[in-house]
Amino acid sequence: MKLPKLGLTTKKSLKGYLYVSPFLIGFFAFFLIPLIQTVVFSLSELKIVTTGYTITPVGLDNYNTALFVDPDFVPTLTNTVINTLIDIPAILIFSFFIAVVLNQKFRGRTLARLIFFLPVILTSGVVAQMEINDVMNQALVQDAEFMLGGQHFVSFLLGLNLPPAFVQYIVTVVDRIGPVIEASAIPILIFLAGLQSIPPDLYEVADVEGITGWEKFWMITFPLVSPMILTNAIFIIINSFTSPRNEMVRFIGENTWSRGGYGVSAAMALLYFLSIGAILALVVLVTSRRVVYLE
Amino acid sequence: MKQTLYKKRINRSLVGDLGIFVFLGAGAAFTALPLVFAVSNAFKPLNELFLFPPQFFVRNPTLQNFADLFTLMGQSWIPMTRYISNSLLIIILGMAGNLFFGSLAAYALSKHDFFGKQTINALIVLSLMFAPAVLRIPNYLTIAFLGWIDTYWAVIVPAWSSTLGLYLLRNFMNAMVPIDLLESARLDGASEFCIYWNIVMPIVKPAWLTLIILTFQQLWGLTGGEYIYSESLKPLPYALDQIVKGGVARQGVGSAAALIMMIVPIIVFIINQSKIVETMSTSGIK
Repeated sequence: MKLPKLGLTTKKSLKGYLYVSPFLIGFFAFFLIPLIQTVVFSLSELKIVTTGYTITPVGLDNYNTALFVDPDFVPTLTNTVINTLIDIPAILIFSFFIAVVLNQKFRGRTLARLIFFLPVILTSGVVAQMEINDVMNQALVQDAEFMLGGQHFVSFLLGLNLPPAFVQYIVTVVDRIGPVIEASAIPILIFLAGLQSIPPDLYEVADVEGITGWEKFWMITFPLVSPMILTNAIFIIINSFTSPRNEMVRFIGENTWSRGGYGVSAAMALLYFLSIGAILALVVLVTSRRVVYLE
Repeated sequence: MKQTLYKKRINRSLVGDLGIFVFLGAGAAFTALPLVFAVSNAFKPLNELFLFPPQFFVRNPTLQNFADLFTLMGQSWIPMTRYISNSLLIIILGMAGNLFFGSLAAYALSKHDFFGKQTINALIVLSLMFAPAVLRIPNYLTIAFLGWIDTYWAVIVPAWSSTLGLYLLRNFMNAMVPIDLLESARLDGASEFCIYWNIVMPIVKPAWLTLIILTFQQLWGLTGGEYIYSESLKPLPYALDQIVKGGVARQGVGSAAALIMMIVPIIVFIINQSKIVETMSTSGIK
């Protein structure tokens, strides 16, 4: 069989599609179609009947219920958004710092990396469901309060003549130090992978040229890993917004079966989706202007 | 000789070292504490488990919890080995598919130009934003439509199209793989697949090793939940979960099971990370 002659660009295009297609098929089946279905559900009332379900279109009623009737939706949403915005810079800085330290050669490095990855193991799946976790969490909270004994810490910071707004931020972050360390586990790994992908010859050249460690960090390490800052920022936002332990995700989940029914919870999910999108766009804009080095 | 040269160059003060050490130590203590607690719990006899307030360290360590767990596992209706092989099958197939399809797509999206590429890129980030919990019902409908309810495919195939891996790999390829390298390979007559497999994948090895950890973690926790009903197709976490939920008296067995559930990912992590170290010396681009 002879194939018709194709232009070079078309050929390249086809190859691109060939490589993307296995993934795209799955993507359509398990994401895009469900998403469209959710949009349909959000615009209708869904009733479970013996043969399956029936839907009656109700226009924007569900959105109205979510935004103006339900007393908890808007406060929960704003709360979640604010908490996440506070966490992002803290998680980014913390995980970058830890990754740089863990990337150095020292004895017990794997163990140290493991320790910072532990929160992921401990908080996921079956381990998290088992009851001991409650006791562990209590122990953790007490632990954190003990280590960073509240009031003294604040007065110490204010004593350093730092601007109050900054102190306020630090205190809020310290309050959330547990969640921040937990959320840093995967970003640390991503940064580590980024650090390890830097070609070692760059450092060799730097050594030959007689550059200090400080300069090496700012002139090689930081610029080359900076694209990972954006990757991580997006990951952190998404991870915190979609984790099953997120307040809003739980709220929507509960709503599916109890209060408003599936239509309303689909509307809530879409509104939530839109607000995540807005925050993501904002962060991408800020980060890509300021931090990321591109060739 | 080389060693001494390096030592001179590192101009970091002892105080700074100490500060970093203390900081790391505090963070490490914070995250390691629950693990220490879980280990010590697994060796506690029943009467110590119910002490209030809970004791951090075990006083009379015993292996009774593990003995009980293994006895219960031996008595289960379906042999334990079946649950274990189910888990292995789901993890291996799910991980391999996710890695292969994801990296292939990532390569095309990162290093090729074709119509609709920007749209696909945007869709991928969009898909990440949607909480999986929210899509549960439509996903169930899709899988039911495909006739995969109560088969392994119901959990394996969705893992293949998880976008997180694709997203990570694409970003690493964007940042780390120079286009000149691919051009020169093309001039030498390398096929696209050969470039993908022999050049791009080795360069981003740290990235996909990291992805393996994340995917393993995800698949390891799966209980099959709403998709798999047949007892003989259920994965291991489900079986352990059932044993533990047998009542209050199973508290001891529960801590032993929790420890086993933690140990496996820890071992995978350690092996995986030791592989990353090797790539450090080989990933240089000349």
